[in-house]
Amino acid sequence: MQTQNKIRIIFIFLLCCYNLVTSAQIKKDSATAITPTITFTYLNSNDTIILNANIFDKKEKGVFAIKNAVIEFFASGDKKTRNLGQAKADEEGNAVLKLPVAKGLPQDKDGKTTYTAKFNGKDKYRPALETFTAKFARITVNFSKEDSLRFILVTATQVDRKDAIKPIQKEKIIVYVPRLFNLLKIGETDLDVAGKGKVEYPGNLVGDSLGNIIVIARIEDNDVFGNVQGQSSISWGIPKQYYLAEKPTRELWTPIAPIWMIVTLIIMLTGVWAHYIYAVIQLIKIKQISKKKPDSSS
Amino acid sequence: MENKDTKEKLLRQFAPQLEKVSSATLVWILFLLGVIGLGVYAFVTQVTKGHIVTGMRDNVVWGIYIVNFIFFMGMSYSGAIISGTLQLFRTEWRKPIIRMAEYLAIISLLIGPGYILLCIGRLDRLYYLALFGRIQSPITWDVIAISTDIFGCLIFLYLSILRDIASLRDFSELKIPAWRKKVYSMLALGYTGTPEQEKRLRRATDIMATMVIAIAIIVYSVLAWIFSVTLQPGWHSTIFGPYFVIAAVYSGTGVLIIAMWVFRKVYHLDQYITRKHFVAMGVLMVVLAALFGYFTFSDYLTKWYGSEKNDESLIRILFTEYYWPFIFSNYIGVLIPLLVVGIAKLRTITNITLSALVVIVALWFNRYLIVIPTLESPYLPIQDSRPDWVNYTGTWVEFSLMAAGVALFCLLFTLASKFVPVMNVSEMAEIPKPESSELFKAEESLL
Repeated sequence: MQTQNKIRIIFIFLLCCYNLVTSAQIKKDSATAITPTITFTYLNSNDTIILNANIFDKKEKGVFAIKNAVIEFFASGDKKTRNLGQAKADEEGNAVLKLPVAKGLPQDKDGKTTYTAKFNGKDKYRPALETFTAKFARITVNFSKEDSLRFILVTATQVDRKDAIKPIQKEKIIVYVPRLFNLLKIGETDLDVAGKGKVEYPGNLVGDSLGNIIVIARIEDNDVFGNVQGQSSISWGIPKQYYLAEKPTRELWTPIAPIWMIVTLIIMLTGVWAHYIYAVIQLIKIKQISKKKPDSSS
Repeated sequence: MENKDTKEKLLRQFAPQLEKVSSATLVWILFLLGVIGLGVYAFVTQVTKGHIVTGMRDNVVWGIYIVNFIFFMGMSYSGAIISGTLQLFRTEWRKPIIRMAEYLAIISLLIGPGYILLCIGRLDRLYYLALFGRIQSPITWDVIAISTDIFGCLIFLYLSILRDIASLRDFSELKIPAWRKKVYSMLALGYTGTPEQEKRLRRATDIMATMVIAIAIIVYSVLAWIFSVTLQPGWHSTIFGPYFVIAAVYSGTGVLIIAMWVFRKVYHLDQYITRKHFVAMGVLMVVLAALFGYFTFSDYLTKWYGSEKNDESLIRILFTEYYWPFIFSNYIGVLIPLLVVGIAKLRTITNITLSALVVIVALWFNRYLIVIPTLESPYLPIQDSRPDWVNYTGTWVEFSLMAAGVALFCLLFTLASKFVPVMNVSEMAEIPKPESSELFKAEESLL
C-alpha cells in the first residue's frame, strides 16, 4: 500500500514537472515568435499600379524592418483571385510590385479590386497579411493658355466592370511639381460633374535647362480609388542655368604635395637646422679654442 | 663665475654614485632588466604570431601602444619646454632640477617612438616610409618632426652637461676606470671655462633652449594634428594642438616631481632639492591643471552643444561605458593638484608628490579616452564587426610592452644619473649675480 502511494506521489510529481516544462516551453516559444506588421499602400500612376508592402517588427526600442522577407501579392474580386507575383523586402522593409496594366484584374460588383499582400512566415516570424481595396481610375493632365494666364487641366475618369469610362465627380485633386527632395504643391481643385478641374499655373517655377517641367495631379487617400496620379510634362518652367560647381581640390591625393606645404616645411626645417648647425659650430669653436691653449686644460 | 670649493664639495658628494653601483641599485637594475625581458618576449610573440595577440582589430586599430606613444612624447616635450624655459629665464631654483628635466626630455623621446613601431604589422616594410613617404601625410610630418626633435634635444643635453663633463674630467678624486676618464675627456671638447668658451657655450645653450621649446610645441602639435585632421568624432577639433601641448607639459610636470622625489630620497639631496622646489613645481602644476581643465571643458562643451550625431554618441559613451576613467582623468586629475597646492596646510613634499602621481595616471587615462572610444564608434559600419572586435581590451602582450617601456625609462634615467650627476653641478657652484640674487630672494618670498 505504501509502495503504491509512493508510486502515485512520484507519478504526480513527474506530471507536475512535465506540465511546468511544457508550459515554460510554450511561453518561451510564444515569447520568441514574432508577428510582423505590414503596412500596405496602393498607387495608381499613369496606368501602372504600384503596390508597396512595408513589413517590419514593432518593438519597444523602435521599428525594425524585416529585410529579405518575401511578400506575395494577390488581386481578388467577387469570384476569382489572381496571383500578381512576389517581391522581396529591401533593407527598409519595402517590397514593391509594379503592374503595368490594370486591365483584366478581378473586380467585385462595384468594379473594385481587393489587393492582398501576404507574408507566409519564416523562421521566428509568423505569417502576416494586409489588404487594400480600390477601384481603377485614371487622371490625365493637359495644359491651356487663356490670354496671359496658363492653366493645368485635370480630367479624372473611372472604369467600371464593363470597361465603360465614366467621370469621377466631386473629388479633390492636388497638383504638384517635383522638386529636389519632395513634391511641391502648387494648387488644388474639386472635380466638376464632367470629372474636370482647372488650376492656374504659377509663373515662377524652375524647370530643367530647356524649361521642361513635370506636373503631377493626384487623388490622395481616397476611400474608393486609393491613391491615383497622372502626370505630364510641358516647357513652361524657367530654364535652369547649370554651372559646373568648383570642386574642392584634395591635393593630398596628388603626386606632389601642395606648394604652400612644401614652402612651409622648407622654411621651418631650414630655420631649425640652421640653429642646430650654429650650435654645433659653437661646440667646434670651443674645441678649437682649447687647442690654441693646450696648457689650460691641465 | 664658479665657486671652486662649492663645486668640489658637490663633486665629492656625487662621486660615490658615479664610481660604484650599490647592491640596492644592482637589484633595481636587474628588476628593470627582467621587466624589459618580459617585454622582449611579448614582442617576439607579437612578431611571430601577428597582431592577433593584441586587442587591436579592424575598428580599434590603435590601442595602448599609441596611448603610450602620446604619453611618452608628451613627457619629452614637457621636459624640453620646462628645461628650455628655466634656462632662458635664468630661474635660480632651476639649478638642482633642470638636469632631470633634460633627461626626461631625451629619454622619453627615445622610448616613445618605439611604440609606433609596435603598431606596425609589417616591420620589414618600414623602409617604405623613406622610399614612398608623402609630404601630404601627417604621419610623415611626425617622422620628420620627431627625428628633428631628437637631434635638437641631444644637442641641448650635450651643451647642458658639457661643463659637468669637463669638471668630472678634471676632478682628480674621482675613482673611475681609465676608459671612463677618456670618455669624459673626449666629450669635454677641451672645455676649460675660458671667457671665450663660456660665452660661446652660453650662446649656443640659449639658442638651443629656444629651439627645443619651439620644436616641442610644433612637434606635439603635429602629433595632435594627426588626430584632428581626420573627421573622426572626438578628434576633429581645432584646439587639439594647444590642448595636447598643455596636457603634455602637465603630465611631464608630474613626472618631474616624481623624479625629484625619487632622486632626493635615493641620493640624499634633501639640502639641494627642498620643499621650495616642490612648491615651485606644484604651482606650475596648478597653472597647467587649470589650463588643462579649461581646454578639456571647452572641447567637450562645444561638442555637446553642437549635438552632432556622432559627437553626441561619443560623449554618451564617455559618460556611460567609460564613466570612471572619464571622471578620474578630467575631474579628479584636475582638482587634486588644485586642492593640494592651493591649501597651504596640504602643501607638503609628500602631498605634492602624491598629487603628481594622480596627475600622471589621470593624464594616461586622458590619452586612452582620446584614442579608444573614438575608434570604437566609427562613422561607417564594418561588415562582421562582432562586439569583441569593436570593443577594445588590451592583452598581456600590450601591457607587458607598456611595462617594458616604463622599465626602460627608469633604467635609462638610472644609468644617466650614473654617468653625469643628476644635478647641474657647475650651475649649482655658480656665484649668483647680484641682480639674480635679488630675484632669487623675490622667488623665495613668493614660494
